[in-house]
Amino acid sequence: MEISINGARILAVFENVPLLGTVRLTQTVAMSWFVMIIISALCIWLGSNLKVTGISRKQAVAEMAVTSLVKFVHNNMGTGFDHYIPLVGTIFITSVISNTISVMGFWSPTADLMTELGWALVVFVLITYHKIKAAGFGAYLKGFLDPLFVLAPINVMAECFTPISMACRHFGNILSGTVISALIYGALTTATHALLGALGSSLVAALIVSAAGVVLAVVMKKKGKTVFFILGIILALLGVFALLHNAGGFLGEIPFLAIGIPAVTGAYFDWFGGCIQAFIFCTLTTLFIKQAAGD
Amino acid sequence: MELYQSLVAVEPATLIVTICNLFLQMYIVKKFFLSKVLAILDKRREETDQEIVQAKNAKAEAMAIKATYEENMKQAKAQANEILTHAQKTATARSEEIIGQAQAQAAQLKEKASAEIAQEKKKALNEAKDEISGIAVAIAEKVVERQLNEADQEKLVSQFIENLGGAL
Repeated sequence: MEISINGARILAVFENVPLLGTVRLTQTVAMSWFVMIIISALCIWLGSNLKVTGISRKQAVAEMAVTSLVKFVHNNMGTGFDHYIPLVGTIFITSVISNTISVMGFWSPTADLMTELGWALVVFVLITYHKIKAAGFGAYLKGFLDPLFVLAPINVMAECFTPISMACRHFGNILSGTVISALIYGALTTATHALLGALGSSLVAALIVSAAGVVLAVVMKKKGKTVFFILGIILALLGVFALLHNAGGFLGEIPFLAIGIPAVTGAYFDWFGGCIQAFIFCTLTTLFIKQAAGD
Repeated sequence: MELYQSLVAVEPATLIVTICNLFLQMYIVKKFFLSKVLAILDKRREETDQEIVQAKNAKAEAMAIKATYEENMKQAKAQANEILTHAQKTATARSEEIIGQAQAQAAQLKEKASAEIAQEKKKALNEAKDEISGIAVAIAEKVVERQLNEADQEKLVSQFIENLGGAL
């Protein structure tokens, strides 16, 4: 079987758009709108019916989220950067939702480098703005000549690599999850075909296996041995699947072994990795801006 | 046929859309969620602060009232003590005065009584003198059976009383 790992699917192509030339509307754009709709709905829902006393459970969650966001920004940047709270919060929630919708089989907008690069460029502009504001434009330019003027190209590159590294760190982690999930899925599909193909090639063997499984399950259920009971059920199912596989058609194409196992890797790459990357991106955003503004 | 981008593709349109999306999303998050929740949090903090200040004021007020009350109590106690002391003093003085008056009155009464007794005694003595002299005259008249002249009579009586006085 062939496994192909692609980028975003191109939904539509517009030729000869002014200024941009050929524009390809990709899944990334469509899904980022979908994510925006989810977040906006969430915000409007959580932000409605707020009361000062006698708060609802929903409001408690909303307040906790806002309080921890403010605390996060204050911890990393101090109290002078409160106007960046919406930016940090927005990047965080967008990243988390984008990373985790892949659990439901959607395309993650964050699996496209352009999404992270867009965020990182915004952060880069802010970093540069704060550097110029803190030191003055001349001193900012002069800073590239430190400690020797020959190092200026390297300094410029280092400056440019800040957003690139931020974007690539986030993108790479999400991509690795996607790649590994695809590989595991492919491997399990292949394994299913190999196992069931071998077993199902002989009708008698498949029948014997499933019959043995049923007998084992029934006997062990009576004896109360759970492990063997489960083994019996698995054997029975294996026989049935082999028969189905042998029967061909649509049912034969279902990768039975791929049911369940990818959820385990998904739990790590989509949930844990997704949340951690969002957190890291926001931490770097706050720290870089704070650093640029000086102490 | 389905078209795919390559795994890592640079697509300016997507980049621009992403940046625009970020700002739009930021605006929505801020307007519908962050500002509202922060406003509520601020309002609650303000109300709590206000309540604390009010409680502090009430406490200060209560303490002031307590201090005034204690001061009043102290004054009242002092006053009561003073009144008591004064009353005791007055009572002592009055009793002494009364006793003094009583004693003086008693002395006066005693004196008066003594004087009266003395007078009565004198009066009785005189009466007795007169009566005795009368009796003596009568007896003498009877004895002598003759009429003495005034001078003899007087002399005789005085002589008799003198003798009587020596006997008395």
